[in-house]
Amino acid sequence: MDRSAVRAEVKELLATGLRLDRPASEILDDSPIFGEGLGLDSIDALELVVLVEERFRVAIPDEDVGRRAFATVNALVDFIMSERTR
Amino acid sequence: MPAVAITGLGAVTALGGDVPALAAGLAEGRCGIGPLTLFAHAGRSTLAAQVPEPAAGIARALPRATARRLSRADRFALAAAGEACRSAGLTPELQRAAALYVGATTGGMRESEEVYRRRRAAEERRFRLSRLLGTPLATHAAVVSQALGLFGPRATFSTACSSSALAIGAAAAAVRDGRARIALALGTDQLCRLTYAGFDALQALDVEPCRPFDRERRGLSLGEGAAALVLEDAAHARARGARIRALVLGDATTTDAHHVTAPHPDGAGALRALVAALAAAGVPPEAVDYANAHGSGTRQNDAVEVAVLRAVFGRRLARLPVSSTKSQVGHCLGAAGAVEAVATVIALEQGLLPPTMNLRTPEWPDLDFVSSAGRRAPLAVAVTSSYGFGGHNVTLVLGRAESGR
Repeated sequence: MDRSAVRAEVKELLATGLRLDRPASEILDDSPIFGEGLGLDSIDALELVVLVEERFRVAIPDEDVGRRAFATVNALVDFIMSERTR
Repeated sequence: MPAVAITGLGAVTALGGDVPALAAGLAEGRCGIGPLTLFAHAGRSTLAAQVPEPAAGIARALPRATARRLSRADRFALAAAGEACRSAGLTPELQRAAALYVGATTGGMRESEEVYRRRRAAEERRFRLSRLLGTPLATHAAVVSQALGLFGPRATFSTACSSSALAIGAAAAAVRDGRARIALALGTDQLCRLTYAGFDALQALDVEPCRPFDRERRGLSLGEGAAALVLEDAAHARARGARIRALVLGDATTTDAHHVTAPHPDGAGALRALVAALAAAGVPPEAVDYANAHGSGTRQNDAVEVAVLRAVFGRRLARLPVSSTKSQVGHCLGAAGAVEAVATVIALEQGLLPPTMNLRTPEWPDLDFVSSAGRRAPLAVAVTSSYGFGGHNVTLVLGRAESGR
């Protein structure tokens, strides 16, 4: 799976997986996932971790890795790509 | 002891998304009961008084993640509470000290049912636990106080179909004893599979739109919605120039301790609630101008309720207008007491006797059930009663603002 396909899937996961109040097409690559950006909270974070782990077969071992990986859509795509090529 | 004024009203019912729509529907004799389309139900009954999705309103004041997870019943509650506070002209400072009392019975049950249905139908691979956050009944009060900035006393009551009548009584008590100068009373409930299937299994649902007090009545029609009332120390309301819409003259609550669903056959508890509420209000039975009945339309309730009214009002009952708002908005369960209190305030304010719809052949022809056309009459004092499964009886005595009490 190439980078743009992963990015599209991540956005779809955010929009439909978390039932966001906006479509995947409106999610920006570099907008923060939590806080003001998409308006997600800690409960969404828990669900998103599980969804990403399940869908992409990657592991998010701790909060530090999570914080980095879930900063923006691009950061999450980077994390998934690097874990999958490992 | 401070007099308790009602200075704000809000309502979301099958007759419309606000109080003017409810008032118009009551005056026009509209019936909001129609086909159930919210979810599939394979049973006897196919009807409900459904409410259209309310506008976002004060839900916009919530964090986006919280707003996204609101249940329909939360959204009803927010719409009604927002309208009530707006119509009372409450400032953020006044809201800050206000108490909040909520009545509800199923919370976010419908959303929870959806979580299980999706998992069971394999539409989702796992339980979406965040969708269960609206399940606790106290969630309504939490989101309403957060959206409106209410920091005073707060409680949630769940006494079946009298829940929000009890919340109004609690709000009145808080104002009377000085714990709060302003108290918001709120009822909210949404249609869900559990209550719909449950009432249908009990054969408590009429297959036609409910016909309270009719000889052919076969049960109730379930509804949904929310209603809110701002209760306020009357002197405080006058001092800030607020319009007093009506007064809470008295209230009482009693228990049947008899059966999980059936009312006590003699209506002993309901009778004590009505008598005690009138006594608390200092109103003799002959001063009551209108009774907004519980009037669910079940064989048992209506018979017991008429017996209770007869015991208190005697021969005068022939000249006491009685009607059931449930014939227009359905039985809104936890919201019913508040919806009917708002309807009663509208009746007092506008001199309007709301009709009992679908009533063709009254089982008690000597009573004045207000026919489908509704009627105009000056009213000073009205009673509204709510009877919940398990024997939770509440009666409220409301008075017209300028009734001089």
